Amino acid sequence: MAKYVCSVCGFIYDEEEGIPEKGIKPGTKFEDLPEDFECLWCGASKDAFDIDNDQGDKKEENEQKDKNVEVEDENIVKSEDGDLLSKLSYEQMSALCSNLAKGCEKQYLTEECTLFLELAKYYKDKAKKVEDCSFEEMEKLLKSDIEKYKDANEIAIKYEDRGALRSIVWSEKVSKMINSILKQYNDDKEKFLNGKNIYVCEICGFIYVGNELPKVCPVCKVTNKKLHKIEGGVINE
Amino acid sequence: MNRQSEFHAYRDIEKCTKDCICLYVCPTGATDTETGQVDFDKCIGCGACINACPSRALLLLPRIYPEQQQKKEPVLNVVRSLAQSKVEQEKIMDNIVKNANTDAELILAKAISKSNRIMAEDLMREGGFLLPQSNKVREFLEDISKTNDEFSVQIAKKLMNLLKVSNDEKKK
Repeated sequence: MAKYVCSVCGFIYDEEEGIPEKGIKPGTKFEDLPEDFECLWCGASKDAFDIDNDQGDKKEENEQKDKNVEVEDENIVKSEDGDLLSKLSYEQMSALCSNLAKGCEKQYLTEECTLFLELAKYYKDKAKKVEDCSFEEMEKLLKSDIEKYKDANEIAIKYEDRGALRSIVWSEKVSKMINSILKQYNDDKEKFLNGKNIYVCEICGFIYVGNELPKVCPVCKVTNKKLHKIEGGVINE
Repeated sequence: MNRQSEFHAYRDIEKCTKDCICLYVCPTGATDTETGQVDFDKCIGCGACINACPSRALLLLPRIYPEQQQKKEPVLNVVRSLAQSKVEQEKIMDNIVKNANTDAELILAKAISKSNRIMAEDLMREGGFLLPQSNKVREFLEDISKTNDEFSVQIAKKLMNLLKVSNDEKKK
């Protein structure tokens, strides 16, 4: 009997216990769960689950990882200096400015907020346009991101950057959720929504498909007041 | 005017139930405003309103935020490269939104676009730009103001006038 853990929110499916209240009998093997099985907490599909290794194994694995990360001399690894603009794309500058606008809004700095939003929009318009117009094209980028997270996590841990690690962990989970949702969409197409709503967490970007919102965001744990419903019809900016 | 206090009071509008005790305990009248928010300029950060509020709706916020953590280049590279990928995905989703044929397609693309923007923002934030008042943001705005791009130069200059840098003193 094994345990499986949801890579998005950490929910554990224990084969020994099953989920009797959902009609899944104790002793039900993970692979015998119905194909449309969804995580009880976040709604991710079956393939978002990984086998839950024994803690001991994990520790060993981490130690192994530490050895594998190239050791660079602290003194050689510089902090960034000078010529910022050459290092940032218009897209990144746009995201940076729209985030600074949020920071200003939070501090009640209304004028500053408006100015950063203007800059964000300006840089977004200046950015290179893309022709791609399909979920498949996006999935390619998404899949390559998902492969990058392992290294990304290691780098943030190595340089003891808690903040960066947090943002990497959240975006990894959200990326896996998007991947899971796209799979459901590809299977069901137009029937995908089927009376359900879609919500996006304003803090971490987690996407929830369904009508019974979890109490807190399964990824960043903010209260569900921050999960905002996406409306159809008109394009919202 | 006296030297500004290190902190100022702030009202959490969601918690405030208009008990209005803050109005008369405040020594300067900073809590009596038309906007419902404390007048940050008048506030001397004494904390009287905070101790008096039965709704726990008032709190102190720093006027000057702590200096942000130094970021190492490998960390910057990795968060910014992830952020770049997220904004690329946002652009593709925006194209789908413009050409969507079904409601499911439209709503899903909107959701993924927004989600990617939020992830990119958060990654950029941790890529050295945590606070609007940080030196890094100041540097960013200064760099913009040195370009020939009139529109962004004007905005950057306005922002530089408005935002105080956290460790201005240290820089001098």
